[in-house]
Amino acid sequence: MSDHHDHDHDHGHKPAPMVDEVSHFEILEMAVRELAIEKGLFTAEDHRTWVEYVHTLGPTPAARLVAKAWLDPEYKKLCEADGVEASKAVGVNWGTSPPTQFGTPSDYCNLRVLVDTPTVKHVVVCSLCSCYPRPILGQSPEWYRTPNYRRRLVRWPRQVLTEFGLQLPSEVTIRVADSNQKTRYIVMPVRPEGTEGWTEDQLTEIVTRDCLIGVAVPKPGITTNVKLPVRKAIHPVHHDH
Amino acid sequence: MSASSNDANAENGEMLIDATPIPLLRSIQAHGRVWEDLAAQYGVTNPDPPWKITLEATCDLLAGDSCVKPYDQVEPGSCALPSLERRAEEDELSATLYEDVPFPERQLLALAHSMIARGLLDEAELASRMEVVGQRFNSA
Repeated sequence: MSDHHDHDHDHGHKPAPMVDEVSHFEILEMAVRELAIEKGLFTAEDHRTWVEYVHTLGPTPAARLVAKAWLDPEYKKLCEADGVEASKAVGVNWGTSPPTQFGTPSDYCNLRVLVDTPTVKHVVVCSLCSCYPRPILGQSPEWYRTPNYRRRLVRWPRQVLTEFGLQLPSEVTIRVADSNQKTRYIVMPVRPEGTEGWTEDQLTEIVTRDCLIGVAVPKPGITTNVKLPVRKAIHPVHHDH
Repeated sequence: MSASSNDANAENGEMLIDATPIPLLRSIQAHGRVWEDLAAQYGVTNPDPPWKITLEATCDLLAGDSCVKPYDQVEPGSCALPSLERRAEEDELSATLYEDVPFPERQLLALAHSMIARGLLDEAELASRMEVVGQRFNSA
């Protein structure tokens, strides 16, 4: 190595940009967490384990489940009959996922795979709060959590799907599945035309999070989710739990 | 809070949580820089702040097993903050007090608000801890 090493030349890479500033919100999050641990509301070890687990989650297992089912009729039958068992083939075991191992089984529940047909389209909501099949689908998008989506989808599903850019013919029946503490859902959309001969990996790429919630249908070349403005609900929020 | 009292509150159009502004959280709301602004300024493409998952973990751990039990089967006192109650309170506070705060910052404010309102945290204690954490974070 030369003694002289200036930085006029290009190293061929640049560090990714990062936020070089600590916000009040970041400080608040840490302060709340530290005090909760000190007060014995949960342990630091449980928190660390949970965070590590959540970092491993995302929509890929659910997308792969759909892709596998498109390619394998027997596996598709299993998905319909027993979503929890079918999840094991894509690396998700609802019975032994980390939360159950340290006393917080918040994601241990039943999974049902809702199979679309050319005349039936499913879409998922949690009208009560924001239950979501995190072990197989990752974190829910912001719009899924809003009272605006939760209330209106059950009343006007066809119109709300149109807001997502999904125009369904009138002959297609829409079924809204309402998640709860014990049962969560993913949608298996109809395999789109133009994907004949595709591999499981190729098919997995077009089964987006939105497709798995049911607010979109897969299309060759489309691998991203919609960006939707989040609207507030007009009426006051009241829960009757 | 019991199911029956919540039903009554809903029928009467009352809030489920005391939405009296909490000065500490109001100050953070007024002066805190939200992730969407920081990300834009620094050219960061991650849509979520790095603390979003740790916040989710805190919410989940406070909820214990209430996430997977029907509400009427959640034993009173079995967890610090039942998930359905926290989410209901977050919905209310997001539509009122913290309406102008984006997500997930408003989830964080709502959580802190719920914890202070229930006596799980003390406002002065939280302010003091924020001072300590802030000094630590900015000491590099």
